[in-house]
Amino acid sequence: MPDALRTAPKVALQNRRWFPWLLMGPTLLILFAVGIFPFGYSLYLASTNIILSKPYLETYFVGLEQYQYLIQDPDFFNALRITLIFTVSAVFLEFWAGLGLALLFRRQIRGKALYRLAILLPMVVPPLVVGLIWKYMLFPNSGLISYYANALAGLIGIAPPTFLNEPGSALQTLIFIDVWQWTPFMFLILHAGLAAIPAEPYEAAEIDGAGAWRVFWTITMPMLKPAILIALVIRTMDAFRTYDQIAVLTAGGPGNSTETLNIWLTNLAFRFFDVSKGAALSLIIFVLILVMSTIFIRILSRTRIDEGE
Amino acid sequence: MARDLTSVTSPAAPEAERNWWVHLVLLVICVVAMLPVVWMVMTAFMPRDVAKAVPPQWIFTPTLDAFRVLIVDKGMLGYLKNSLIVSVTSTFLSVTLGMFCAYALARFDFAGKEDVSFWILTNRMMPAVAVILPMFLIFKTLNLLDTYFGLILLYTAMQLPFVVWMLKGYFEDIPRQLEEIALVDGDTWFGAFRRVVLPLMTPSITATAIFVLILSWNEYAFALFLSGSTTKTLPPAVVTFAVNAEVSWDVLGAACLIITAPIMIFVIAVQKQFIRGLSMGMVR
Repeated sequence: MPDALRTAPKVALQNRRWFPWLLMGPTLLILFAVGIFPFGYSLYLASTNIILSKPYLETYFVGLEQYQYLIQDPDFFNALRITLIFTVSAVFLEFWAGLGLALLFRRQIRGKALYRLAILLPMVVPPLVVGLIWKYMLFPNSGLISYYANALAGLIGIAPPTFLNEPGSALQTLIFIDVWQWTPFMFLILHAGLAAIPAEPYEAAEIDGAGAWRVFWTITMPMLKPAILIALVIRTMDAFRTYDQIAVLTAGGPGNSTETLNIWLTNLAFRFFDVSKGAALSLIIFVLILVMSTIFIRILSRTRIDEGE
Repeated sequence: MARDLTSVTSPAAPEAERNWWVHLVLLVICVVAMLPVVWMVMTAFMPRDVAKAVPPQWIFTPTLDAFRVLIVDKGMLGYLKNSLIVSVTSTFLSVTLGMFCAYALARFDFAGKEDVSFWILTNRMMPAVAVILPMFLIFKTLNLLDTYFGLILLYTAMQLPFVVWMLKGYFEDIPRQLEEIALVDGDTWFGAFRRVVLPLMTPSITATAIFVLILSWNEYAFALFLSGSTTKTLPPAVVTFAVNAEVSWDVLGAACLIITAPIMIFVIAVQKQFIRGLSMGMVR
């Protein structure tokens, strides 16, 4: 950069203190209206006993009772457990599948661009449509996959798979569908991360005669760490909040075998109209996510600082 | 030996002589990735009795019946119009407003800057489902249920944190001296911003806008609970076709295709920006 650029005087902009606030004004205003205000309103709702379907009940202040009630409810732990199983298994599978694919794509492959386009396809299908397509394909007996799976099971002589219809398999099916949709995302991020690793360490390792396995663990994985972290963080947060597909595919059933926190929340608020419990639960979910993301952001910024040194 | 292990060693290694197994693996993955989408497209063009036939029919005479049902009987064009209005307006608003906010956060030093950016991010952490309930009650009080204004406001707010965080990083990559020179030359702040910064930011802003548009177009939860007969967007409308007692799969497939096709065509058209924007924005 020429010297003239570097020595350009800091101009009047910096002196006007209110100026950045003016620029941020509209954004902050909207986020305040749609962020803080509902938050406060939820706090108020959660401290009362409003049930919309029973307007004749007298409304009074109940303090923290709603939270206490929820936390003692076995349904809460069921929903929390299912949310965690769903999030952890889906993200785990997506990560290793995405990493494997990204590593495969480092090879020189003819028709790479075409393969990549096909692999990225599931990611751009709206989550809602993903739910509907799979519901159709898994429709008992007549759905495309159900039909061939039944035929195959009959051929081998095992019980036909149940997919979404049995508590035992519904959650696994949901996890598989999430993996189908979001592995491309992991792949994309890790692929970009791999591309950003310089060639020198590999050349050095090759001269030293290090084996592929060791190269992978001592060079590729450490150098890929920032990309891995960001991919894991984004996917974990999004998987934790998954709603559309589950709502369409099982709506929490059979029984409550796929009832994640989000699904339970909508059931409480919009099926049973118990808005106070719904509000309390939404605040609990918010705190859970806030804690999770604060931890994630700490880890992220720490690795970024390490990088900088 | 090293040749076989190119995937974990040098990225510049030449194409392995015999990596037919790579093609095999990739082909299988592509089939798994594409089958549901291909089946959806096929279903959309099936006659009604073929769509529910057992065993599944792979060969049939394509028909546009399902689309006719959707457009003539189900008022699909109205939902399409609603979706367009809501997603395009909210994308425009969130990118425009978020751009200035990101610029302020990237360029100025002021007290509480870190707190403001973190607070903006926390707005993205709230799951949509958790916001719906209070918003529903507030909208009901303010008579905003089933209005474009309400939906656009919500979508704009939902996308703003994402826009701000994406663009903030991109602005930080542009040396601030460039604008300072323009200011010394007597330009106004806005002039410098428009003539110097904005042209450099166009690719990043485009990439961000693409994502925001896709996210808004796909949004389901808010639209389900907060839109009504006059503003219902495509996603909640399509679900109503699926939960009816008698599901006609051909109509459902066609409806899914109508939601998905614009995005797919769009993404394939802007593939480069999409992939670059997503990967570079995150792996910085």
